[in-house]
Amino acid sequence: MCGAPTWAPSRCARDAGAAMTLIAQQILLGLLLGGLYGLAAAGLSLVFGVLKVLNVAHGELIMLGGYGAFWLFALLGWDPFASLLVVIPGALLLGAVLYLVLFGFVVRAHEEIRIKNSLLVGFGLALSLHALAVRLWTADDRSITTSYGGAVISLGDLAIPLIRLLSLAIALALIGGLHLLLARWRWGKAIRAAAEDWQAALLTGIDVRRAYLLAFAIGTALAGAAGTLVSVGYSISPSIGLEWTLKALIVVVLAGLGSMLGTFAAGLLVGVAEAVSATIFGGPYREVVGLIIFFVVLVLRPQGLFGRSTR
Amino acid sequence: MLEIRGLEAAYGDVRVLSSVSLTVGPGEIVALLGPNGAGKSTLLGCVAGLVRPRAGSVSWEGEDLRKTSPHLIVERGIAMVPEGRRLFASMTVEDNLDLGAFSARARAARRQSLERVLTLFPDLAARRRQLVGALSGGQQQMVAVGRALMASPRLLMLDEPSLGIAPQLVRAILDALVEINRAGVAVFLVEQNVRAALTLAHRAYILEGGRVAGEGRAAALLEDAHVRRAYLGPLAVRP
Amino acid sequence: MRAWTLAILLALALLTPLPLLVAREDVINFVLLVLLSITLAQSWNIIAGYAGQVNLGHAAFFGLGALTTRTLWIGGVPVLLALGAGAAVAVVFALLVGGAAFRLRGAYFAIGTLALGEILRTTVSNALPEISTLPEGSIAGYRLAQRYYLALVLAALSVVVVATLAGSRLGLGMQAVREDEGAAEASGVAALGLKLRALALSTGLAGAAGGLFAYYHISYYPSHPFGPQWTFEALLMTYIGGVGTLHGPVLGAVLYVFLKEYLTVRWVDFHLLIFGVLFIAIVLIFPGGLVQAAEGAHRWLTRRRGRRR
Repeated sequence: MCGAPTWAPSRCARDAGAAMTLIAQQILLGLLLGGLYGLAAAGLSLVFGVLKVLNVAHGELIMLGGYGAFWLFALLGWDPFASLLVVIPGALLLGAVLYLVLFGFVVRAHEEIRIKNSLLVGFGLALSLHALAVRLWTADDRSITTSYGGAVISLGDLAIPLIRLLSLAIALALIGGLHLLLARWRWGKAIRAAAEDWQAALLTGIDVRRAYLLAFAIGTALAGAAGTLVSVGYSISPSIGLEWTLKALIVVVLAGLGSMLGTFAAGLLVGVAEAVSATIFGGPYREVVGLIIFFVVLVLRPQGLFGRSTR
Repeated sequence: MLEIRGLEAAYGDVRVLSSVSLTVGPGEIVALLGPNGAGKSTLLGCVAGLVRPRAGSVSWEGEDLRKTSPHLIVERGIAMVPEGRRLFASMTVEDNLDLGAFSARARAARRQSLERVLTLFPDLAARRRQLVGALSGGQQQMVAVGRALMASPRLLMLDEPSLGIAPQLVRAILDALVEINRAGVAVFLVEQNVRAALTLAHRAYILEGGRVAGEGRAAALLEDAHVRRAYLGPLAVRP
Repeated sequence: MRAWTLAILLALALLTPLPLLVAREDVINFVLLVLLSITLAQSWNIIAGYAGQVNLGHAAFFGLGALTTRTLWIGGVPVLLALGAGAAVAVVFALLVGGAAFRLRGAYFAIGTLALGEILRTTVSNALPEISTLPEGSIAGYRLAQRYYLALVLAALSVVVVATLAGSRLGLGMQAVREDEGAAEASGVAALGLKLRALALSTGLAGAAGGLFAYYHISYYPSHPFGPQWTFEALLMTYIGGVGTLHGPVLGAVLYVFLKEYLTVRWVDFHLLIFGVLFIAIVLIFPGGLVQAAEGAHRWLTRRRGRRR
């Protein structure tokens, strides 16, 4: 393009500048989306790390969170960011119920069977929730459009959608809050102890069952929050479950277990990587590149880039 | 007072304990000796609630412990220092100790307990903020004992505390046990170092092949011919 | 198990004259769907039931078989040859990727294959976005009966393969690997080799089923057979029927297709809700599926009868 002698040098520089801006814009959008990936993954990572349970219905929980926010908006006119105040406690409660009714039984088996069973149970749950959602709300795409939905902050040549920026900020705040919770709160430490060595935790006087319940509830709450943010910045439908479960899995595998901040960072990485590959290979293939990276990392280094080796 | 009667335990088809009966009275130091694989750890596991016995009874201060969850057993006043310490390596000394006082009863006395532990093990005071994984074996053992003490137990159980620890630190830990006992805590000790254990304890039991093969006052067992031959001979562990 | 094999094959044999006896196409279509489902379920059963691995990307092989068969057959290759090629392509792909995937244990294998399936589906969806329709001449010469007989043969084949596998040294070796990989390795069973052979059989059958799909449908989107619902259906049918058994997947497939067809009227995905819940119950309460439940009920009944005397 720029090498051919017929192009005037000044025009060449301008076009290169335009291309740079395009790429930068894409990376920015990828970063904003990556924050949601990180939030989505954090819940899955917490549950997997603590309970050793792989909840493949995590994406469906995100979907439910999105619908919660959507209906609060559509029926009651609630601003989606405000509805977080209801969605998060609601998801917390849902998580507690799911643990008591379902996953609490899965954790009774020892680790290898536990992971396999959780996979299957999660699968059944995902299927059921998906079918239920289709029945209740149809398969249509839904999105929340607020009055300030189109607002954009300009940074030089770059346009930052306000809603997505807010979402990133909230996601970061939630992750930060989670990190503090795990580091300072008595039950947060108990959760970490149970994750590391549940027998030693029991011997220390920690009710590991309750720690598991809390971890699962918190994980679900994070999923619900992520869903809310997805419904306002993007769109939701009953089918987003599988998509987000895979996204969360990709991030978790990349980041490894044990660090919430690392998981968030990995989410940002995946968002950016997707954006870059979309620019290079074209839009439709952005998903594929992420999945391929996932598969390669899984085979070469299941403990991820940031995580400690569990093998 | 801990009372075990006719305890039977098995892993699948393998019988590990057969009609084991023993007691640990208030304020006593009782040692449990025997060769590897005799079932000593399993016995402790039954008391701590990690292992469900097939038959027999475990009662603590009159109450049956067999159906109780391990964390509730800690609440009742029994704390265990497991074999290999099993500390939370990703957390600091302070956090590990703090978690030791997790049960409601222990929480109330948290501050005093911490003071006591740091007085007993002054080494730890300087290392409070260090990650436990960075400490030496002996220091980790101190944290493990400290963590159990934070639970304000009336009975402290230890599974092979001297394993893999440098001799001078073993000395320090055993001295600490004497101090702890003097403060009124009963101690139930599984220990490979027979001489050290018998010097420390009031009474001892010998477990061989899942059965109680001998018991008596520690001093007497030190002189016993069978004990000397089996456990204190040239191949036995020297202090 | 011998009895069940013969019973199923007999039932299939009895179904052979169906196109001659019944004029209604919807009945034949229904039975064909059941037969296809049986083949797909049995193919998944081989990996899950006998090698103990949960393959969540099974649709990839179904899809590859469909794609290959369709392309070759429309291009003029005789359908049976195209079908064989479809199965072969599925197997080759499986063996290429299988070696890497089998380094993963348990849950990681499951999510790894899930990703794999999605990679293929997305790629095909982007590369071939247009619907694939049979050329005019083929539509005119379309004979449902031919598809039907092919489905019958494949279903019978899948049952025979599983039956032979279960009793053979290969099958027993696989069972050993499933029970305890470490112990199996120690006693001389080469785990990886067995797993790869199980993978080959499983994906070959799936590819053949895909070929049938391509031969049967007049038009469809090329990425459709790569969709995760095919994997999930195979999984549901096998587990609910009884994973690792011979007749379990057959029963599961029949039940599944029945419920799906009859419940679709009112509530499109209702069968999925039922099966989702049933599936959870099976995983938690009776992992042996309906087969186990039936055997348990049978034992309970005969015990009661015995007591009465």
